[in-house]
Parts: sequence; structure tokens; C-alpha cells
Amino acid sequence: MKSKRRVLICLLSVAVLAAIAAVMMIIGRGHTIYVDNRSVDYNGQTYEAPYKVTVYVKDEQIAKLYDKERGMSTWIGQNFQMTLEVMEKKGGDEVLQTIQLKLPYDMDGIIVNLPAVLAGLPEEAWLTEFIPAPVVEEDDGEIPGESDEFGLEGDMGDDMGLGGDI
Amino acid sequence: MKQNKVLNFLLNNMVPIMFIIICAVLIPLSGFSAGYLLNEIITRMGRNTFLVLCLLFPIMSGMGLNFGMTLGAMAAEIAIIFVADWQIWGLPGIVLAVILSLPISVALGWLCGTIMNMAIGREMITGYIMNFFIGGWYQLVVLFMMGPIIPIVHSSIKLPRGYGIRNTVSLLNMRQTLDDLLAIRIGGIKIPVLTFLLIGLLCLFIVWFRRTKLGQDMRAVGQDMNVARDAGIKVERTRIISIIMSTVFAGFGMVIYLQNMGNLPTYTAHSQIGMFCIAALLVGGASVEKASISNAFLGVTLFHLMFIVAPAAGTEIIGDSMIGEYFRVFASYGVITLALIMYEMKKRRSKGQAGQMLAQAQREEEAS
Repeated sequence: MKSKRRVLICLLSVAVLAAIAAVMMIIGRGHTIYVDNRSVDYNGQTYEAPYKVTVYVKDEQIAKLYDKERGMSTWIGQNFQMTLEVMEKKGGDEVLQTIQLKLPYDMDGIIVNLPAVLAGLPEEAWLTEFIPAPVVEEDDGEIPGESDEFGLEGDMGDDMGLGGDI
Repeated sequence: MKQNKVLNFLLNNMVPIMFIIICAVLIPLSGFSAGYLLNEIITRMGRNTFLVLCLLFPIMSGMGLNFGMTLGAMAAEIAIIFVADWQIWGLPGIVLAVILSLPISVALGWLCGTIMNMAIGREMITGYIMNFFIGGWYQLVVLFMMGPIIPIVHSSIKLPRGYGIRNTVSLLNMRQTLDDLLAIRIGGIKIPVLTFLLIGLLCLFIVWFRRTKLGQDMRAVGQDMNVARDAGIKVERTRIISIIMSTVFAGFGMVIYLQNMGNLPTYTAHSQIGMFCIAALLVGGASVEKASISNAFLGVTLFHLMFIVAPAAGTEIIGDSMIGEYFRVFASYGVITLALIMYEMKKRRSKGQAGQMLAQAQREEEAS
């Protein structure tokens, strides 16, 4: 009876931890958001970029974008919210708009086209995945453990691997 | 009698007194302001104290200084690599790393405890060698299995050859998340309240745990294994649990440490952590068989104070900061050596005294 209860408590603890881990994976997913202020063509129609858009994320100004300019921000979670201060024409009035977007979980870098968002177009019009240009990296030959078969270098050398950051 | 008491006090607290004197000499030489030193000490206390506290469990059960705590650090590093690859940022990333490190720490702690039970009386050297043994496995997993067998998506953490993890993994998106949350500033000094709360919780847990049945069992095992066994305590099981607890808390501590640093030196982060935590605890006045929470706090303060001021003082004295570096390395290894020598001397002395008492009793019995 006692061991049954113990097994049950263990299973319950594992389930609770797994549930917390799952929640953390959802609410903690980080994205890098790139906001583009450039004209977009959708269904044969062109949506022009405003003269100037000031972008605020979490009450912090992240970019002031003129035509064909890009800003960047980071966001944790899938419900992205930003406030835009839009000036359609030079010298015109600035209109404040709060935008909420649902971000796809599986994308690290997301490009958001502001004219498409402001026009209320569907996701396919304003969202593009940001794919970083492939960087040709040369193998620096610093593969750990290869130069010393016991992997001792740095650990037991003169500097003892302290580096002042302990 | 009074002289004896003073001598005993000096002998028992030789290491902390020595370090207090060293720090008292080095602080004015370093030229650092009190504010700067306080800020640095608070940062380093937040970073290291949790790791140092995890050493108390094996000492409680008589297994000495747990050099095997590095295993917990490795478990945390593997968890952090996954979290970095899955792009889980901020506090959720830290919580997820803690949860992921848990099963790995438990498994490694169980393995370490079981092996230590096969080498009773030689736990410290066994733990030390276990570091290298598991370190080799860690390298195999991280260097060769991550990529082809264990899926790693992001090229930013993979080696240019396409598999294995880079020498340094950036944790910029979780850097000091824990420290900044609820942090307060007093006179320009940042106090990471949440980190200290977690350390406080661990301290409370240790105090509570000592009073539980398992805690009492551990202390009984630590005092005399044979007596504990005769009293019906499952000695081997209790010892394994103490190592598992130490490894698990070391894993948690390593997550706190790494989030404070903001990057993961994949192949070196764990290698020195055990040594420095043990040295810090010993500097605080702990010994191989006795350690308390206050030893951990005093040790971290003194040890890291020396770490901060030694290079600057070295520069001031002979114009070379490296002398301070060498000095602190010498001091950390020296203090561990000193503690081990003192422990062995004490053990031999008490053995000798017990022998003398036995002989005396026999003589008295024969005379009567």
C-alpha cells in the first residue's frame, strides 16, 4: 500500500514537471522580429509604405522607419504586440495603432511587413521567414580534446582556466 | 586552560583567519573602492553560493567533499544546450533547463553514489576520478552525438563541421534574467533579490532537512556507519541519496551560474567548478567532516574577495597582474591540501587517543 502510494507520488511529480516543462516551451519560445517598412504587392494590388513609422515594443522605441527601412526586436511567446506611430505623408498627422500578431512557433526569425499589417491583410501577406545568409566558416581547428588526448589543456595548464570569471 | 581554548579556536579556524588577514592586506593595495568590492562580492555570491551549498549533503553523510558535484554541472550544461537550441528564452528557459537537468542529475548522482559505496573511505578521490570518467562521456555526447544522433537544429551552436557543439554557446537571451527580476539598487549596488531568495530557500531546506528522518539518518551514517547499520538505517541507500541530492542541487546551481555569466563555455565550464566550490567552502572554515551554511557564506565572501583583489594587488606590488592570478590558484589548491592534511592528522590523533584510552582501561582492569 505504502509502495503503491510512493509510486503514485513519483508518477504525479513526473507528470507535473513534464507539464511545467511543456508550458515553459510554449511561453518561452523566443523570436527575432524584423519589421519592414516597404511596399508590398498582394493580389495584384500595391500597398504603399507610409512616410514614417515609429515602432514601440513593450513601451520601448525599437525603430523609426522610413521607406525601405528595417527594424529589429526580440519577443518571447507567440502573441506579439507592438504600437505603431504612423505618419502617412511627410508633415502629416501621426496616428497611433496597437497591433497584435500571432507568431508561428517554429520560426526563429520573422519578417513582418508593416504596410501589409496596417492594411489588415492576411498572414501570408505580412509574414516571411527570415533565413540568415549562409556563412562560410572555416574550421578553426579548435575542436576540443583533439590536440591533447587527455583533454588537459587549459584545465591544468598555467592559467588553470580561471580567466577571472569564476 | 584559557590559553588552550584560544589555541584551539585558532587551530580550528586557521584557514578563515588566514584569508581574512590576506584580504585585509590586499584590499588597500588593490585600490578598489568599497562600493565596487561590495557590488562584485554580491554578484559573485549570487552566482556561486547555491553551488557551494550543495556540498553540505555529502559532508552530512560522512562522504567528505563531493568532487563529483561536477556531474550535476555537466547535467545542467546538457540541459542548457537543449534550451539554447530550442530557443527558449528568459525565465521559462531557466525553468526548463532546471527541469531537464533533473533526470540527468539523478541518474549521474545515482551512478556516482553507487560507485562511491564500492569505495567506502575513498569517496573523495573516487568522486574526483568520476569527474574525468563522466567528463569523457560528456565530451562524447556533446562533441559527436549532438548533431547526427541527438538533433541539434541551430548552426549557431553547432561546430562548423556540422556536428558537435561549439566551444562557446551564447546565452544572451537568458543572461541575468534571474538576477534582474526583482533586483533592487541601493547606492549603485545591484542586489539580485530573486537569486538570493532561491539561495535562502535552499538554506531553509537544508535546516529543515537536517531535522527530518532522512536527515537524521544521514548524520548518523556520517558519525558511524556501523552503528547506523546496527540501528537499522540503510546506510548504502542513505549515502546514495545524499550524493543524488548534492548532484541535483549542483545542477540547479550551475543553471544559476550560467545565466549570470551569459555564455556557456561548453568544454571547460564544469571542469573547475567543483574545485573552486570546495575551496570556497574550506576557506569558510568547513572541514572534510563538518560544514555549515555559515561556512558556505563566509567562504564565498572571503574566497571571491581574494579573487577580486589579488590581481590588482599583484599589479600594485610588482607591476604584473599575473602574480595575483598565480597567487589565487596557489591559494585555492593550497587550502584544499591543507584541509585534507588537517583531516588526516585529526583522524590519526583521535585514533591514537582512542588506542591510548583502550590501553589505559586494560591496564586498570588488570590492576584491579
